[in-house]
Amino acid sequence: MAETLKFHFTPVDAPRGDEANVHAQPSTEVTDTIAALRQHLPEAITDVVTYAGEQTVFVARAQLLEVCRLLKDSLGYTYLSDLAGVDRFTEETCRFEIFYNLVNITAGKRIRLKVRVGEDDAAVPSITGLFKAADWNERECFDMLGIRFEDHPDLRRMYMPEDFEYHPQRKEFPLLGIPGSLPLPPQTPEGELTMDPFAAAHGRRPVACTQEPVREEEP
Amino acid sequence: MATLAEYQKQQDVFSFWPRHNEAVRERLESKDAWLETVRGTQRTRDEDVLEHEMTLNIGPQHPATHGVLRCVVKLDGERIEKCVLDIGYLHRGIEKLAESKTYQEFMPYTDRMDYLAPYANNVAWCMAVEKLANIEVPERAQWIRMIMCELARISSHLLWLGVGLMDAGAVSVFLWTFQGREDLYTIFDEISGARFTVSHSRIGGLATDLTPQAVAMIENFVSRYEDIVQGWRKLLNRNRIWIERNRNVGTVTADEAIALGLTGPNLRGSGVPYDVRRFEPYLKYNDVDFVIPLRDEGDCLARYHVRMEEMLESLKIIRQCLYRLPEGPIRTDDAKKAYPSKDEVYYSMEGMIHDFMYTETGVTPPRGASAYHAIESPKGELGFYLESDGTGNPWRARINAPSFTNLQGLESMMEGHPVADIVVLIGSIDPVMGEADK
Repeated sequence: MAETLKFHFTPVDAPRGDEANVHAQPSTEVTDTIAALRQHLPEAITDVVTYAGEQTVFVARAQLLEVCRLLKDSLGYTYLSDLAGVDRFTEETCRFEIFYNLVNITAGKRIRLKVRVGEDDAAVPSITGLFKAADWNERECFDMLGIRFEDHPDLRRMYMPEDFEYHPQRKEFPLLGIPGSLPLPPQTPEGELTMDPFAAAHGRRPVACTQEPVREEEP
Repeated sequence: MATLAEYQKQQDVFSFWPRHNEAVRERLESKDAWLETVRGTQRTRDEDVLEHEMTLNIGPQHPATHGVLRCVVKLDGERIEKCVLDIGYLHRGIEKLAESKTYQEFMPYTDRMDYLAPYANNVAWCMAVEKLANIEVPERAQWIRMIMCELARISSHLLWLGVGLMDAGAVSVFLWTFQGREDLYTIFDEISGARFTVSHSRIGGLATDLTPQAVAMIENFVSRYEDIVQGWRKLLNRNRIWIERNRNVGTVTADEAIALGLTGPNLRGSGVPYDVRRFEPYLKYNDVDFVIPLRDEGDCLARYHVRMEEMLESLKIIRQCLYRLPEGPIRTDDAKKAYPSKDEVYYSMEGMIHDFMYTETGVTPPRGASAYHAIESPKGELGFYLESDGTGNPWRARINAPSFTNLQGLESMMEGHPVADIVVLIGSIDPVMGEADK
């Protein structure tokens, strides 16, 4: 058995990132669109980054709506595929980043726009007026990261209840949640509300669903 | 009229999240029916002298809502005037969880997103990571992934058909399609050792190769199911009850479907030829011959036809894959990018070290790298946007879930229909809450 085994190892870690990506798609190569954007709105585009054959266009916040309108009305990017935010917690400036994934179905092109905003003024204009599909995505982004979308018709939270006060996908939000942030049903029929679903993780005695909840002693 | 919170205080009713329910109610009052506004078909209602107006809360725990979808609807008699969908009852925060997992560790979580087609999610995640880290996948693994993705599509569509018909009142079809799902579970069990949450795909390839037994089972399934699906079409395509329940229900035109952001069969049912398998051909979809079913009507019946034809096309793709399945490795032979084979792990020290290293750290895409990869999952475009900070954990893992975008469209589609159409509409949109709620 052992002599038939063959071992293949590649001990050298080849340099990565600059070689051609095997999964790159022609649809994400949007040089023409970027040229058209540069021609019509010269100040709007601050940077273009390419990785894995995908061109990411960084857009100034003030011109975001104009860029989106141009893409939709003149360049055929009518379909909004995705919209979400990124928390760049470790960066010095511009903590949040919102990306827009727009698709031109007839030409077979996909473009990604990115807008960066700081923590103090975490707000971008809403594109729901142009892309109706952005509605829920913007709500989700607001819920998860606390980025406000100006002129959004209905900026409620998407997943968490309105009574929740935090934005869970920010990097500083603990993975186990914050005890007491949401009341949960009592664990016994006559019990009290459960304010900490992960009591054991926070160093307290957990209550089994078959037990009476422990009463906190009055100080 | 007293607000809900005031009423509850008066009546001494305890409510868990009073501000949340209040906000849903306010939204119900303030919104307008988007589709009717676009089409200019709003109905001006006289004063409600007969008190036909009613606010009804359907779900989240309701068998017809396919999970934990909550619909709050404002009714005029039996007609839905406005609808607000409230989702998040299955929110587990898996995007947040992904940030503290290695790329390989996150895989079982994708099984639990669209739990009707777990294999498609595994493949979507693996391909996104492979794009981010530039990992090549061997030919054989790509063909096997394609077979399994199409089996997952059939599995998901079988559930849609059975449950959709049960919602419309035909219980027997549910039993027949679950027979089909049982056959598929047996195949998944043979291939991966798990019936439901397969987690079989790996970054850079697959966990195990197909056994001859598994290939025989897939061949057997493919040869039998063509006739079975055609039999269901014979039963349903001219079935008067089914057609009456579906025709002209939830109609959206192509432009409206694009504006609402519908994906998958719901978009193609409105005549928009957008299928990621053609738009950005991944795996080997460029090398096989298949048709993307399209319908122009945009109603529930069109979506039914699209999905039924998709099942037949999937069978066609699987048949071609089986015919062309090449011999060869099933995982990339680079221990920095994929797990080493079990032979290497058990019989060589380097193999074991690499196995540990891969479990501990895994792939480390370059710092600042970001990539988006989408596949055509049974529900539509399922994409993962990943951002790396140079470590083994993703800095940001964004899930573009098709059910989420489809549900957004459903909110507008429901308005203007009778209450009885809610169940048919939810069934025809085919949402999975595990995916929509993330």
